[in-house]
Amino acid sequence: MIRNELSSRKPLNILEKIEESLEKLNDKIEVMIEIQKTNGGNNLKTIPTLPDASLDVMTLLSMPDHLRKTAMTICRCTKATAEEIASQTRRARAVESAYLNQLVIMGYLKKERKGRKAYFFIDRETQS
Amino acid sequence: MTKIIAVHSYKGGTGKTSMSVNLAATFAKMGKKVCIFDLDFRAPSLFAILKAKDIETWFNDYLNNTCDINKTLIDMSSKITGPGKFYSSLANPATEAIRDMSSKDRKWEMHALGRLLALKDSLLKNDKFDYLIFDTSPGLQYSSINAIVAADYVIVATTGDRSDVDGTKRMLVELYNLFEKKTGLVLNKVLDPSITAKKTEMQNKIKNDYQVPLLGIMPCFCEILRNEGNLIFVQDKPDHPFTKILAEMAKKIENDEIT
Repeated sequence: MIRNELSSRKPLNILEKIEESLEKLNDKIEVMIEIQKTNGGNNLKTIPTLPDASLDVMTLLSMPDHLRKTAMTICRCTKATAEEIASQTRRARAVESAYLNQLVIMGYLKKERKGRKAYFFIDRETQS
Repeated sequence: MTKIIAVHSYKGGTGKTSMSVNLAATFAKMGKKVCIFDLDFRAPSLFAILKAKDIETWFNDYLNNTCDINKTLIDMSSKITGPGKFYSSLANPATEAIRDMSSKDRKWEMHALGRLLALKDSLLKNDKFDYLIFDTSPGLQYSSINAIVAADYVIVATTGDRSDVDGTKRMLVELYNLFEKKTGLVLNKVLDPSITAKKTEMQNKIKNDYQVPLLGIMPCFCEILRNEGNLIFVQDKPDHPFTKILAEMAKKIENDEIT
C-alpha cells in the first residue's frame, strides 16, 4: 500500500517530504544537544515546560544570557525563522534554532511550519 | 540608528520629565517629527506640564488594546516654533487609572511590551516619526523596563546624591547591560558649575565610574526650579545655557555620537 502511495507521487514531492522530516529531526536533535549542554547531560527534567508561559521583561531578566539574546530578538521581530534571528544575533543558524526550540519547550514561544520553513513567534493572544 | 529613546533614572526627582519634554521640544525645533510618551503611570505629570486639556483617550488605552495609537496622540506643534512636529501621548492621571495600572499582571505587561514594540511599525515606519521619547518612572518598575527593552537608546539621568549614584551603578550593570542597551548618562542638577568646563576629565571619570559614555552635564539652574515645570524651557528661553546643552545632546544623538 505504501509502495502504491509512493509510486503515485512525484519523486520531487517525496524528496521534499524527506527533507522536511530530516529538518524536523535536526531541530529535535539540536534541542537535545542544547539541553544536554545546559544541564551537563544528566538532568533533562530541570528544563521547565510551562505551557503558554509569559515572556515578560522580568522573565527576560532572569534568563541565561544566551537565551535572553534570542528571546529579545524574537520580541522585536514578532515572527521569524531561525535564520532571520541568526542574522540579527550574528550567531549560527543551528545555534539559534536550538535556542528557539528550547524557548518553545519552555512554553515562551510557539512554532509553526509553512512549507519547508519553521516560524517562531510569541503567541500574545493566548498568553494574555 | 537611534529612533526610540527612553529617559530613565534610579531615583525620582532627577529631572527625567523636564529632560524628556525639553529634548523632545529640541528635536521638534530642529525640524523633526517627535512624540513624547508618559510612561510614569503611577505619577503621571506630562499632562500638567504640557497643559493638555479635554483628553479622551490616553496612552493607557493604547496599552490596554482598546484603541489605536493615533487616537491617543495630541498635536502640540503650536507650542514650538519651527518646521518640526511635536506630539504627545499621555498617561491618565485619574486615581482609578493609576490604581488600574498598578494592578496589572505579568501577562498584561508582556502584552504591553508587544504594544510598545509595535510603535516601530505604526509610528516610525508608517507615520514617519523621527523620534519617540519615553518618559519613564524611576527604578525597576515594569513599565520602565518595558520602555528600556523597546528603546534603541537609554538616557540615564543621575544627580550627585550618594544613594542615587550607587543605585544607578547597580542598575547599569544589572539592567541595561543584560539587555545590551546603548546607554548615555546625563549628570543632572550639578551644583559646581566648573565641572561643565572640565568635559574631557568628566567624560573619563564617568566612563570609569559607570562604564557608560557621558551624554551631557547639566548644571542646576535656579530658573528651571523656580519655573516649576510651567513652560517648555527650550522654547521660551532659546538663549539659556540649558537650551544650548540640550541642543548639544540632541545633535549627539542625531549624529549617533553616543558610544
